[in-house]
Order: sequence, then C-alpha cells, then structure tokens
Amino acid sequence: MNDNKNIRRLSPILIALIIIGCSQANPDKQQSFVQIGEFTLNRISKDRIDVHDGAGRMLVLIPRNIPAPKDVDPVKIVRTPVKRVVAYGFFDVAVLRALGVLEEVLVGVTNPAGNWYIKEVKQGLASGKIAYLGDASSIDYERIKQQSPELVLTWDPSIIPMLDELGIPCAVTSTPTAMCLNARMRFVQFLAPFFNREAEATAFFDRVNNTLLEIREKTANAGSAPKVMWGDIYEKRVLVEPGNAWVGELIGLTQSDYLFEDVYGTSCIEISVERFLYSGEEADILFTYRTKEYGATSKAALARMNPLFSDIKPLKSGKVYAPLPHYVQSGDHLDEILTEIAAIIHPKLYPDFKRRYFTELPDTDPPDIGGLI
Amino acid sequence: MAVLNMIKQLSYIWRKLGSIHLTVVLCLLLTADLTYGYISINRRTNLFASLNDIGLTAWIETYGRHNLLYTAWFFILLGLLTLLCINTFACTTDRVILLIRSREHFGIQRFLFKFSPHIMHYAMIILLVGYLFSYISAQVIVSQTMVPGTTITLPGKTAQITFESFEPVYYHGDRLAFLNNYVISPRAKLLLTDGDYNKTAVLSYNQPVWFKGYGIFLKNFAPRKKDGMAIRVRIDMNIRKDPGVCVYIAGIILFTAGLFMYLAEWIFFKKYTKESL
Repeated sequence: MNDNKNIRRLSPILIALIIIGCSQANPDKQQSFVQIGEFTLNRISKDRIDVHDGAGRMLVLIPRNIPAPKDVDPVKIVRTPVKRVVAYGFFDVAVLRALGVLEEVLVGVTNPAGNWYIKEVKQGLASGKIAYLGDASSIDYERIKQQSPELVLTWDPSIIPMLDELGIPCAVTSTPTAMCLNARMRFVQFLAPFFNREAEATAFFDRVNNTLLEIREKTANAGSAPKVMWGDIYEKRVLVEPGNAWVGELIGLTQSDYLFEDVYGTSCIEISVERFLYSGEEADILFTYRTKEYGATSKAALARMNPLFSDIKPLKSGKVYAPLPHYVQSGDHLDEILTEIAAIIHPKLYPDFKRRYFTELPDTDPPDIGGLI
Repeated sequence: MAVLNMIKQLSYIWRKLGSIHLTVVLCLLLTADLTYGYISINRRTNLFASLNDIGLTAWIETYGRHNLLYTAWFFILLGLLTLLCINTFACTTDRVILLIRSREHFGIQRFLFKFSPHIMHYAMIILLVGYLFSYISAQVIVSQTMVPGTTITLPGKTAQITFESFEPVYYHGDRLAFLNNYVISPRAKLLLTDGDYNKTAVLSYNQPVWFKGYGIFLKNFAPRKKDGMAIRVRIDMNIRKDPGVCVYIAGIILFTAGLFMYLAEWIFFKKYTKESL
C-alpha cells in the first residue's frame, strides 16, 4: 500500500519533470516564434529566420554575408536586407513606406502611374527607377528580369512557377481568410525582418495600438450602437467584408453592431443578395467599396446602378460613405484610418473631425455630375 | 522478496490501467476536454491548420507552445488518448488471456469469432498510433503552385508531375442561381512520368493522386468562376510522403475485419446459443 502511495506522490513530480524537459528540449536554440494571422516568423538562430507567407510557403531569411544553408531550395532563400522589391498590392507598398524603405527598394509595380497617389511611387515611375510591369493578369516577365528584384510581394500565386524559373523569391501577402485587426496592425512586423527594420515596425505598431486604445476608451460609453454594413452590390455579385476582417472587428470594438459579424471568410467575400438586403433593412451606415470614379457619387447614383440598393435603410434614411481614391494606398496611415472610421460611426464623440479617407455621399448628385452618369 | 514486491506492484499497476473505471473517467475527461477544444478552436483554425503541413514536433515548438491558452486542450487530448490506448490495451489483453484460457468451452469457429471485439479494440489502438506516426513523420511540400504546362520533380526522385490542363465542371442550374458559373468540381489533368512510365491522372478535391509513394492533394485553385475577374489558371497542391498512412490503413482493415466477425458471430451463433439453451 505504501508503494502505491509513493507512486501517487511521485506522479505529479514526474509529470512536471516531463513538461519541463519537453519545454527545454533545445536550450541552445535562440528561438522566437511570432504568428501574425496566417503569416509566421520563426527565428531559428541569430542568422536565420524561417517565415511562412500567406499561402503557407516557407521562405528562409539569411543575412547577405552568411553562406546559404544547403538544406533549403535556393529560390526560397531571401538575402537580407532586401534591396530590390517588386510589389503587386497597394497595401504592400504602403507597408514598405511605413518601414521607411519604399524609395530605396521598390523597383516594380503592377499599376500605371495614373493610378498612384503615393508621391515616392509617382516620382519613381517618372524617373524610371520603378517600372510598371503590366497589369497583374498579364505581367511582363522580361521587364521583371530587367529590374532584377530580390523579392516579389504578390497576391497572385500563379506567378510563382515563372519566378521560380527566374530564380526570384516570392512572398504571397494575401491570405485565404481576411486579415483580422491584429494581423492588419502587425503585418508590418512580418515584412520588417526582410529589410532589417524591426524597430520601425515596432514603432508603427505601437502608434496604431495606442490609437486603438484611445478609440476604445473614447467609444466605451458611446451609448447608442449604430448598425454598420460594409460592402456593395455589383452587377452579378454581392461582396462584403466578413466579421473576421479588420473592419468588422474594429466596428465591433467601437461599440457598434457590425451586421456581417456572422459572415466568416476571405476579404471581399461573396454573399447572397437576400442576406445583404436583410442587413440593409436595419443598417444605419453603409461603407461602400466603390469610389467616386466607379460611380459612388451619391445615394441616387448607387440606386440607379442597382435598383435593389434603393430598398436598404442607409440609402433611404441613413448614411453612406465611399472611400476616397487614395484610401487603398494609405495603409501606412492605419492609425488615422481607424480614427476616421470611429469618428464616422460616433460623430458626436469626434466633433469637428475632418475626414481624409472617406466621403459621405449626398442624396442626389450635384447637377453637373448627375448629368454625366 | 524485492522481485516479488516488484511483480506485485506491476500487477497492481496493470490492473488499474486496465480498469473499466479508468475507461469511464477517461471518456468523461475526453468529453470535457473536447468541449474546451470546441470553444478554443472557434475562429482560431489558423493555429491548427498548419499541423497538417509542418508536423506535430514543429507545431508544438511553434504554434503549440506560443498559444497555450488555446492549444492546451490539444496537449491534454494527446495525453488522454495515450492513456485511453494504454487502458484499452491492458483491458483487451486481459480479456484475450481469459478467452484463451477458456478455449475448451467453445468450438474452434466460435472461439475465433469471440476475438472480434478485441480485434476492434487493438485496431483502434493501431489507428491512433498510425495517425500519431503520420503527424510525426510525414514530409510535406506545402502549397506547390502550378500553371498549365509547368513541370515539377519529386524530391530525391526522377519522377515528374506536369500540369497539362484545367477542366473544371461549372454549376449550371436554376435551383441555386447564385452558384451559376461557379466551379463545383475543379479537375486538374496531371501527367505523371518516371523514365518510360507515363500516366495521366485527374486531381480534384477529395480525389488525390498517388504517385511513387507521394500523395498529391489539391489545396486551392483559380479561377473559381467562369466570368469573374481575369485571373490566370493555377492549382496549389500539397504533396505528402506519409509513412503513417500504411499503419492507419492497416488499422482500418483490421477494424473492419473485427466488425464483420462480430456481425457474423451475432448472426450465426446467436441462433446456435438459443438452441443450445
């Protein structure tokens, strides 16, 4: 019986020893693991960071002066700091700007000069330092080769086989599920080790995080909770931001109801028109994807483009906001964007707030614009 | 004396490990743990999705250790399943020994069929061990993207896979109008070659292709709609070499055999038992 008691007494100690043993399996390894949504950074040693991009592919970051590891496919090795980058997405370019490396490293984009609002990119395209590589669906690979990028940041994985042939490493910066608020704020920390700009990334994150804390504090006792929807009805499809997307989470944090909270999945997810109209019956505010250039000039203009729109409450008695053209290129001003969204939802808490990224749509078009549509 | 004491202790531990009370406690704990897991996993599937790709050891060192609040249930699950396997093994082995000792009471056929529940229990253990082995030993090439006309070579082999064409089946119906022109069955035509060996295979969801010890699984594809955005045709595949598959397939076969034996005993010997009574 005594032996049994001994076993019982010893078992918690044994379990604790096993746990401690497992947790210290590699005491020599200086390892830190960071997960940012679907992206990860795993510091294997002082000179090696394994990263997983949005598609789950692994890339290995190695400083330029260190020999390449033999167990890694050469096209998966990225030499840091990266000095020449091609970027597909506006958000990727904005993050390069947040890291303070945009002017220095960007050598190729997939949007022509006329589509850009970022000064450094416009200047780079004008001077020839940055090349327009063609539309994302018809990239000029010869031009990519000429630009000799050391890294391509893309949302389109179909270019990977060709880039592999050219020996150019590629990181997919889009993800199958929408980026949550935390991932949106921290994405800069995913790209930072590529450029040895961890300090800048931390500063950026701290700035945005402080803004978010201020917003939460300010809106904590906002009282009424406006009902918000973010999406659009197009000719053949209805696209919305799901509840797991950063905008959905932000709206929830500002003491308001995001009406697509129950929708989960990728950014710009397609839902049925009935689901959209159901939420539209009770929404107070609609954020549309369309800019003025794509027809969002007034509530009447939206209703004309799709008569189903005219039945939703924001168009009848609520408010509709459209992004200004430079909004999608302003990821480096995320703190300002978060504040502006909070100010739109709770205007009484932000008196005299001057909007810079969204515009409120009037009921009808001014005569000169209305005549054009 | 010391040896006798040790035998006594081991016999006591064995009895406790095979106890039905332990089984009941483990089942209750498993239920509680899985409920905790159900709550933890909600909208945090990212934490676990990579388990298939990077394997259990790397997963524990990264996602597992750094998110203990949400992954603790999984570690507890592993511990409970290990205990359940040990409990099942001890309990079943006791019964098998008893059955062998009382073999004179049955005819040879009846005697063999009496093993059916024990075969199923052992099969369950093999299944679980197989899955553990799979998560520990599988080598995975994650998200291998191909566009039509491209070829890849399997690691360490001369075997090659060529993506020949994408021939999806689209939805054309009235009942689900919103699905019109959407791909309902992505079908990628692959050419598998190794020296003189040539074979064409169709890869789709739930239709993996097996080639030279590798399993090829469709992970993603584009475009998803006939008249959507202008997106280039591509497929993303996970390519797995998984020695655990053989183990858990053996477990499945053994479990099925045990189940059929149990049914056969129930059908054929029930009548015999009644008549003998």
